[in-house]
Amino acid sequence: MRVKVWGARGSVPSPGPKMNRYGGNTSCVQLTLDSGEILILDAGTGIRTLGLDLATAPKVNILLTHLHLDHIQGLMFFPPCFRSDVEITIWGPASPEASLEDRVARYISAPLSPVEVRELPCSVSFRDTRPSEWQIGSATVRTESVNHRGPTLGFRVTEGETTLCYIPDHEPALGATLAELEPEWVSGYDLACDADLLIHDCQYTDEEYPEHAGWGHSGMDDTLTFANRVGARRLLLFHHDPLHSDDFLDELHATARRRWGELGGDPALVEMGMEGGELEVAPAPVSASVRASV
Amino acid sequence: MGVMAARTQKPLELILARNLLTSISTPAFLLDEHGAMVFYNEAAGALLGRSFEDAGRMSAEEWISAYGPFGDDGKPIPLDDLPATQAVRMGRPAHGVFRIRSAGGAEHEIESSTFPIVASEEGSSGAMILFWRLDANHGDEVPR
Repeated sequence: MRVKVWGARGSVPSPGPKMNRYGGNTSCVQLTLDSGEILILDAGTGIRTLGLDLATAPKVNILLTHLHLDHIQGLMFFPPCFRSDVEITIWGPASPEASLEDRVARYISAPLSPVEVRELPCSVSFRDTRPSEWQIGSATVRTESVNHRGPTLGFRVTEGETTLCYIPDHEPALGATLAELEPEWVSGYDLACDADLLIHDCQYTDEEYPEHAGWGHSGMDDTLTFANRVGARRLLLFHHDPLHSDDFLDELHATARRRWGELGGDPALVEMGMEGGELEVAPAPVSASVRASV
Repeated sequence: MGVMAARTQKPLELILARNLLTSISTPAFLLDEHGAMVFYNEAAGALLGRSFEDAGRMSAEEWISAYGPFGDDGKPIPLDDLPATQAVRMGRPAHGVFRIRSAGGAEHEIESSTFPIVASEEGSSGAMILFWRLDANHGDEVPR
């Protein structure tokens, strides 16, 4: 499977001359399966430019981890929404409060939007999603609730022998010491276990994290510990803080690689989510994963 | 959507409940959807005279046999009669006053409140039980 990042920023779009390399668009990842089908992970502002690339796609599956604005803001500007020959399926977390459609419609409705969901020319359906597993084309998609603010899902997508895990907003270390917990008590563990590529929240440095504990995001040390615990082969650091410039993220990347090496991993396998970046994801040899024993 | 095959991980709501109980000084148990005791905190360990790390996960029958609660006749209260069982099965809060026995044999009168953990209409994921000691003889076992 192939991954293309259309937006790696967290919280709010943050364009500007100091953000050009990593990009200012919010969460959106295109996953192209070996069978040719396309899954879209989240609909932050990056989905707008992705939509320009999907001029002829008759079916689109969008998997929303949650409904914070940085994960849905691009929906209203997603070109396929305005084509009558497109069938769009939107999967997102169920909530006891209201249906997925009703919650998304709070954004795509007056006064925030000039159009309503029912006015979109495309054929759109909403799937309220609970922890479960299902097929989309050649991929098996598994989802679990993960620790963030409000109903939030992580996704594990498996095609053949290749597995990608996407948990862009995640604070697994809240109130817990990740390195010491048994796997069954680690949020997201099953989803990320032995993933060939783990795309994971790394919004804060370790120095910044204490001021943001409980906000639903991870500091670098917790991200690396989580990735190490689950045995992820490659790690893509994601959901960059809107205050982090390109130069700052370069330094964060260098530090993450050094620490990953100290944990016994290959530093080259820690990468940064970068707008426009593409990765080929392939199954790992068994010996390729690094995992601490507990 | 189908049902997942192998699931080794606890539901998120239980993970978060454990993290909360770890951080408070009120003695507390965490039960899973079957009524098994899957965690208790340090304060509960002090009351029971044995840490969770030493005791490990216990089925409902095991923890009742080990710690009670006991009725006035000194016999364990049947599982089906416990408020905690009702909380897990019915998804309703429950409250009660009981006697329990620590690992060292000391008996304590306690008051407990059980809060079901319900994350979806599919039913309860478990319950949290918080304890308060009622007997005067607190000794050194319970943080005050």
